[in-house]
Amino acid sequence: MKINSVQQQNFKGSITNKVGKFIVDHPVEVAGLAGCSVIAQKIVMSGSEAVIGPVMDIGIGKAITKITKEKDGRTNQSSKVQAIRTFAQSVGGTIVGVGVRAVCITGAVAACMKIGSKAGSKIGEVLNPVTEKLTKENDLYKYTDKMSAWGKAIGGALATLVMLVTNFIIDAPFINFINKKVSEKVLKKPTVENTQQQNDTQNAKEAK
Amino acid sequence: MGFDLAKFVNNFNPEGKTGNVLLILNAAGMLFAAASNTFAAAADKNTSAEDKKFLVPSGVVTGVANIALYYKLTQKIIDRLKGITEDMLNNLTPEELTQKATQVAKAKINKAEKGLFNTGLFKKTPEMIESMKKTLLDGDVATEFAKKEFRGKLKDGASVMGAFAGAVIGCAIITPIVRDISAYFVQKGLEKRNPKFKEAPYKPYFDPAHIESRRYGQLQIPMKNYMAFTRRGMKV
Repeated sequence: MKINSVQQQNFKGSITNKVGKFIVDHPVEVAGLAGCSVIAQKIVMSGSEAVIGPVMDIGIGKAITKITKEKDGRTNQSSKVQAIRTFAQSVGGTIVGVGVRAVCITGAVAACMKIGSKAGSKIGEVLNPVTEKLTKENDLYKYTDKMSAWGKAIGGALATLVMLVTNFIIDAPFINFINKKVSEKVLKKPTVENTQQQNDTQNAKEAK
Repeated sequence: MGFDLAKFVNNFNPEGKTGNVLLILNAAGMLFAAASNTFAAAADKNTSAEDKKFLVPSGVVTGVANIALYYKLTQKIIDRLKGITEDMLNNLTPEELTQKATQVAKAKINKAEKGLFNTGLFKKTPEMIESMKKTLLDGDVATEFAKKEFRGKLKDGASVMGAFAGAVIGCAIITPIVRDISAYFVQKGLEKRNPKFKEAPYKPYFDPAHIESRRYGQLQIPMKNYMAFTRRGMKV
């Protein structure tokens, strides 16, 4: 028990050291991430979802079928449908999501950065009351950096709201289109008849 | 004590909290998606009131579980990475810190001068680049401000790494597990109550696209036959 605990601690310590070393050894790359917006997050998130998600869906479908000893294999079958759907939604959602986010963030950052000096000074005072009063005139770099950070956050929040609408208007038909194309390719234009056939074959196999 | 707008606004200051901003925005997107799917299920005319009593709470429970797991896990990763970075920074000698801060400051100036996005609206003016150089470099060495900024940006960058890791784990691993397993139980629950739902295969989710996909052979599934919640119904 004690050995396990020590081993666990050593393992944790080794991971921590590796991560810490990686961060300090790559200061330019890691510090560069500080300026990331939700666009980068969306690309990373949906990109991995498009690859890992379908595999997970099929794996979970198989696991459920095995654990529950399901005879008709419907969960297994539906997991394939879900896997295609996951892929279509990741791809379609990323294209539309990145577009909407890019428009909202660009607009918000531009508005924050290009705002008139007088209004900017007033806003700067409101946004940064505790430390120093920044204006374009007294420190252009710090002012721009600050306004850019606010622009990305405001733009990201705005995009979340805008996507409540675009999800239904743009995403849904676009994802459907991708889903249809992929389903046709992968499931080879499935029909009710061949689905029934597939199930019969599976049932026959299981009966054996 | 009067209300201080400035202090209130500063609570939402994204500086040094990029990872948290990303986490909150993603969680908000997931929340909206879960809420809209559950409302859609609740408002669906094709679903009986009796089925709604089962579907809607399942949608709420699954949504809350999914978002809570994602949020808690990601917050933990972000905090841990920030802590590790703080420790590593504290272990650096002043010379090492200056050297790394200088490296980052120079890279930043170089990016501002020749960066990919240095066009159009985001083009850095010569005044801006001059201001950057003046603020970040004293001759060829990082200024005190640049060193302070380096510490902050490195921790902030680590928090973004945490937000990304959490988003990948949450979206590609946690969500499918929560969704697919709960969908199975919701489906079985529906079948128990109404044997006509025993159709192969079922769709373990609900989204507006459902209506469209009903046209295809294998995907010919009644509107009732769905799982009320999934964040994938709406991609935010």
